[in-house]
This record gives sequence, C-alpha cells and structure tokens, in this order.
Amino acid sequence: MLGYVLKRLLLAIPTLFAVLSIVFVLARVLPGDPAQTILGDQASQEALTAMRHRLGVDKPIGAQYVDFLVNAVRGDWGNSLVTGKPVVEEVRKVLPYTIDLTVTAIVLGAFIGIPLGVWSALRRNTWVDYVARVGSLLGLSFPAFVSAILLLLAFAIQLRWFPVISAGSLDDPVERLRSLALPAINLGIIMAAYVTRVTRSSMLEVLGEDYIRTARAKGVPTRAVIWRHAFRNGLIPVVTVVGLYLGILIGNSVLTEIVFNRPGLGKLMVSALNQRDYTVLQGMMVVYAFAIVLVNLLTDLTYGFIDPRVKRQ
Amino acid sequence: MARLIHWAAALATALLVVALAQPALAAKTVLNVGMAAIDAGRLDPHLSATTPDKALFNWMFNGLVRMKQGTMNPDPALMEGDLAESWKSSPDGKQWTFNLRKGVQCHHGYGEFTADDVVYSLARSADPKRSAFSSDFKDFDKVEAVDKYTVRITLKNQVPSLLGLLINYQGGNMVCKKAAEEMGEKFTQKPIGTGPFMFGEYKSKESVTLLANPQYFRGKPKLEKIVYRYILSDASRDLAFTSGEIDLTYGKQDQTWVDRMKKEKDTIVDVFDPGELSVLYLNVEKPPLNDIRVRQAIAHAIDRNQIWQFKGKDTARPAQSIVPIGYLGHSADVPLLPHDPEKAKALLKEAGYPNGLTIKIIHTNLPGMLSMMEVTQAQLRKVGITLDMEVVEHATYHANIRKDMSPIVHYSAARFPVADVYLTQFYHSRSIVGTPTAVTNFSHCNDADAEIDAARVEPDVAKQKALWKTAQQKLMAKVCGIPVYEQPQIWARRATLDFGFPLKGSLSLGPVVDENTRFTQ
Repeated sequence: MLGYVLKRLLLAIPTLFAVLSIVFVLARVLPGDPAQTILGDQASQEALTAMRHRLGVDKPIGAQYVDFLVNAVRGDWGNSLVTGKPVVEEVRKVLPYTIDLTVTAIVLGAFIGIPLGVWSALRRNTWVDYVARVGSLLGLSFPAFVSAILLLLAFAIQLRWFPVISAGSLDDPVERLRSLALPAINLGIIMAAYVTRVTRSSMLEVLGEDYIRTARAKGVPTRAVIWRHAFRNGLIPVVTVVGLYLGILIGNSVLTEIVFNRPGLGKLMVSALNQRDYTVLQGMMVVYAFAIVLVNLLTDLTYGFIDPRVKRQ
Repeated sequence: MARLIHWAAALATALLVVALAQPALAAKTVLNVGMAAIDAGRLDPHLSATTPDKALFNWMFNGLVRMKQGTMNPDPALMEGDLAESWKSSPDGKQWTFNLRKGVQCHHGYGEFTADDVVYSLARSADPKRSAFSSDFKDFDKVEAVDKYTVRITLKNQVPSLLGLLINYQGGNMVCKKAAEEMGEKFTQKPIGTGPFMFGEYKSKESVTLLANPQYFRGKPKLEKIVYRYILSDASRDLAFTSGEIDLTYGKQDQTWVDRMKKEKDTIVDVFDPGELSVLYLNVEKPPLNDIRVRQAIAHAIDRNQIWQFKGKDTARPAQSIVPIGYLGHSADVPLLPHDPEKAKALLKEAGYPNGLTIKIIHTNLPGMLSMMEVTQAQLRKVGITLDMEVVEHATYHANIRKDMSPIVHYSAARFPVADVYLTQFYHSRSIVGTPTAVTNFSHCNDADAEIDAARVEPDVAKQKALWKTAQQKLMAKVCGIPVYEQPQIWARRATLDFGFPLKGSLSLGPVVDENTRFTQ
C-alpha cells in the first residue's frame, strides 16, 4: 500500500516537470512586459530596461529556464515580479482560503447530491425525479458568477446575514465561517448538481442488475438492498466525478473568488496572468498540478475501499 | 436517510447561528474604500504609476509644495507650501531655494524629515534604476542641503513648471532617507513618508490598511484608519457599497451607473478632473495612413457628438484638442475636423480608394475602451472604411502597440496638467515607439519638436502658451491624432463622508483624503 502511494508520487515528478516547462515557455512567449506593468505607461525606456534587468527577464529564455530549474530544485521559487514578495509566501497566505472553500464545496456537494441522486433514481419518473433533474440541470447551466450575485443580493443585501466582502480573518472562527458560507454554497450547488446526476444514472444502472433482483427475491429488506447492494456498487462513478470535479472547481473558484472578494489561488492566478508575473504563475502551476495528482491518487485509493476487488488487482 | 436529514438540519442551524452573530458595526472613524483592481503593485511612489497605487501614495506622502487640496491647477502662483514653508528662485530661474518646515516626523519613528531627505529623495527620483520618472528630472543639475532646513536646487536650464515636479505626485513624493536606505528592495513592503496616513498592513489580493499618522504636521487626522480594498468585480463593489461595507467606491465611467448611484439613498457621486483624453493615433508612416487624405477622411468620418451621447452626459465630454481641456497650454483654437461623411468619401476617392479600404488594427479588451471603438468602427463603415479589429487582452495590447503593430492606436490617458507632458510623450520624435527613448508617440509625428522644446524652457508664460498652441495646430493639421472624448474621474461616497474641501480635481486620479476628512455621523 505504502509502496504503491510512493510509486504514484514519484511518477508525479515527470508530470510536474512537464507542466512547469510548458508554463515557463508559454508565459514568456505571450506578448506583455512585467516591467511595464510595474512602472506604468509613462515609464522611460531607460527605467524599463533597468527594471527588466532587476527582474532578470532581460536574460535569454534558456538561461532563465536553467536558473529557474536550479533554484526550484533548491526549494527557492523566487519572488513575485510585481510585489517583490517570495512566491511561497504569496501562495501560503491564500492557500487556507482555497482549501476551506474547495473542501466545503465538495462536502456540501456530496451531502446534497448523493441522497438526492439516490432518491431521484428510486422514484424514477415521479415528480421527485423531475424536480431533481430540472434542479440539477439548472445548477449545471447557471454560470458561477450569476449565482454568486444572486446569493449576495438575497443573503448579504436583503437579509444581511453575510458580508459581501467574504475575506474574513482566518484566526476568528466565526468570521471565517461567515465569509465562507456564501462562496461555499455557490460552488457547492454546482457540485451538488453534478453529483446528483451521476448518482442517479449510476443507481439506475445498478438497480437494473440481476443481483438486485435476486436480493429482492430472497427477501432482503429494501433498505439493505438499496444501501448495501446497490449504493455501494453505484458509488464508483460518483467518486470519479468528485475527483475530476476538482479541476472544474478550480475554474469556477476563480469567478467565485472575484465576485465574493475572497483571497485564493484562483484570484492569485488571474492577477499573475494579467500582470505577467511569471514567477507567481510558475509557483501556482506546481501547486495545481500537485493538487490534481494528489486528488487522483486519493480517488484511486478510495476505489479500493469501496470495491475490494480493485484493491486485490 | 433520516440521519442525513439530521445532519443537514444541524449544519443549517450552525450556519444560521454563525450568521446571526454579526460583529459590531465599525465606528465611523474607519474609511473603507473599494478600488477596481485585483491587487496592489509595487508600493513605491517613485516606481509605480498605476492608478490604484497613486491614490494611496497621495494619502501617504508629501511634496515640497502642493496644489490646493481638491484642485489640480498647475499655475505656479497657486501652489501652496507642503514640506517647504517658503521658496524663492534666482532672477535667471536656474536656482531655487526651499525652506523646510521644522519638526516634521517620518512615519513609524524614522526621525525628523530634513534637507538630507529631500536631497536623497530627488536623487532617487532622478535615477532610472530606482524610479520610473527619471526623465522628468533630466534638467536638474544638483540638489544640495544648505543646512538642516534649507535645500537648494540648481537647474541646467530654466524649467517653468519646476514646482509641478515637486508636488506630492510621482517623482515629487518625498520619501524618508533612513527608511529607504535601511529597507532597500523591501521599501515597497513598508513605504515611509510624512503624510497624514501611514502604512499599516498589506493583505495579498485583498487590501492595504493605512493608519492615521498621529504626528502629522498639520494635525492628527480625524479618521483613524483607511482600509483600501481591492475589489475587481464592478457588481460586487456596488453590492459592498449598498451593504455598507465600503463608504467610498471607484465608479464606472458609465452613465447608467451614475444615474443609478445618484438615486441611491445618502449617496454622492463625485465627478472630477482630470479628464482622460481618448485619442486615435494614426501612424503617419504606414500606408495607407501615410496619405494625409486618408487620415483626414477618418477624422471627418468620426462623429464626436454621437460618441459623447453614447458615453453619457456626465461621464464624458467631447474633446477639443490633442491636449486635454484644463491643462496649462490647452488651446481650443485648433483645426478640429468636423463630422462630414460626404467629405470623407470624397477624400478617400481622391486618395485612390473609391471603393473604400480595410485597416487592420489591434485593440484592448477593456470594456470601456472597446465599446467606444465599436462605435467608431460603425461610423467609419458608413464612409467605406472597414476596421478589422483584433481584440487582445490588455497587457498584450500594451506590448504590441509599442512594437508598431497597430496603424491606429486608441489610447486613453491623463497626465500632469501641463501641455508639455502630453505633447512630449505623445508627439515628440524622442518618444516615437520602437526607438531607444520611446514613450508613447504612436503616430511617428515629429512636426512640432521645435515648438515643444522651445516652450519647455520659455520663461515668458504668454510666449510659452503661444508655442504650445502652434504645436497643437501643426500636429492637428497633419492629423497625427484624432481627439475624440474626455472622461473625468467618477467615484461615489456616503453623504456622511466629508472630504473637508470640495473635490474638483485630483492628480492622483483618486479622491483626496487628508487630516480633515471625516464622517459627519
């Protein structure tokens, strides 16, 4: 088991390396000049040249790449080109916000989506099913920033339960929860929509299997048929979707963070891209690539717990 | 299932309890500001010239002199003392002596601000390695500390707008020597000046907090704290204003926004100078624009009034010249080609394009700028000119227009309100893009170099204005740039927030907040 995990993590290294190299080149091929972003549009050429030299972006791209790799191996991810602060510090400051948001959204999505999906499958073609299907379709097709503004209008402006600026201090648990609630619900709804649909279709498939009929025929109570026989087998695709969903969550969290004014990796990435902050961009990509590798690994390990046959293979 | 429902109920209750535990309302000595930006840049007044950063610098730094609070008149006679109490110049105007206020303290205990700090600060502003504004100080010969409270500036030649370089703006912001030397590169993380507010805390992608400077030489500020929040989304900035989380917000240069905000309860919309002038710069060297008839045709095709109506009565005004209205040296007596589609068509025919022509340009995706260009595109189509617009992201646009990749460049800018700055940066041959001394001359025009250079050192104000007028006339006759409209700065605030002076203009492009700014309730 441990050997398997280690092997998987080691295999991630070439992936990370490839991602980094691609990001490194792409970011620099893009037109745009970090020195101009920092100094503004009135800066003299002399000042721009001096700034490019100070940032080290005037060197040939090959030399920059070698410097970058050597420093990265040493654990030095450089300083943000724009703010001048260490990249590691920039990422570390916003990471708790992103983890809070992502984990809560996934949990919320699973807690709403799985029961709703099962229920809807069991009551196929009744009003319950129709409501669940239409609701999940709405959840999927609603852009995250629109639902975010609707949530703000209802709960922050009308009811005044939550703040618009959801950047509460991490040290104060009440503040932390208050500013987490709306963004997490916003992402959680989309997540729940996905999970509902996958759970429903997966359950419908399993419920039609022979062994379910057999279980029913031999007199197993309905509750056990559903939860022990059907649900456990239907869960594998759901776990896959939850894992894959992390990627989608990253995309949606950018918009959610911007509308709710929440610090986070998504916002950090957009600002780095706008300002051509190459070093921050590189650091972010490592974090993202690593997160995806990690979640894939966790997903695979979860398969083993749900279905012992997977573990034996 | 039942268990799940219990769980859900428990979670909902927990959220409700948390929601009801609202924190006490902030006392009204804290000013919350919403700025349309994703983050701060390098917080060094000599490095950053971005709009979001400049507003902050204005609250933290002093110059030797200043314009009257809330105005932006560059007339030297109207300048007030800031860190300097008095000043005088030699008869030839080449030597200036400034007497400093005594007892001014640098923020966070960095000691008294003296002549040494002025010498250091101006040397820093003039050094291209440490400043983006070094070229402003190229006529400075030397800056010396005569004694602890006296500074002497010697110039290589006369600089009529010298005082303008010494106000609390860009290179004129005075930093404290001890702090800047001690911190080096880290100065951007804790900039130290002498202004009414001092640096408190920076939260990445979130906010900058400034604290009242208790030792401020004009008296302790009435506000205790300013939280300057970076709120990129227009919609959430508006919502945060409505919910009371911010008291002063960056506005949209959009008439519907202004109309809506004016209807909000207890809200004041501030519209103030400078206007950002939108100009279409035509590259006079690139065919087909190297033919003046084509350039004239484009100018005649543009309907300024229609664009003004599109932009909005309060949020724009039609441009009059290539130097913005209100700038020292602006002249309305210039050949501004009127809207005349028939003449445009005739000119095109004369230039050999009876069936019209297509021009491929690059434009930014910034919505405010793009919408105006789309109107222009429609107007040009009526005379047979097809604008083939490649819309790119803003940083790409800035990079590509500086490589001469777009024969027509739509650029919108406000500068120090003296004609010299605008004319030099946009029309002097030294500033042509692609050259080693490039700034933002996209048209490649060089027809008024002599007038621009002569005006800069002309001591007689009347003669100087005449030179600037001739420069504007020459450049407009050649259709180097087509001025379209000007957009003033727009902010909204709570009616209870009193700046302490009428806000008519602000060079920093942001509202001016000082020791007198307070909430009336």
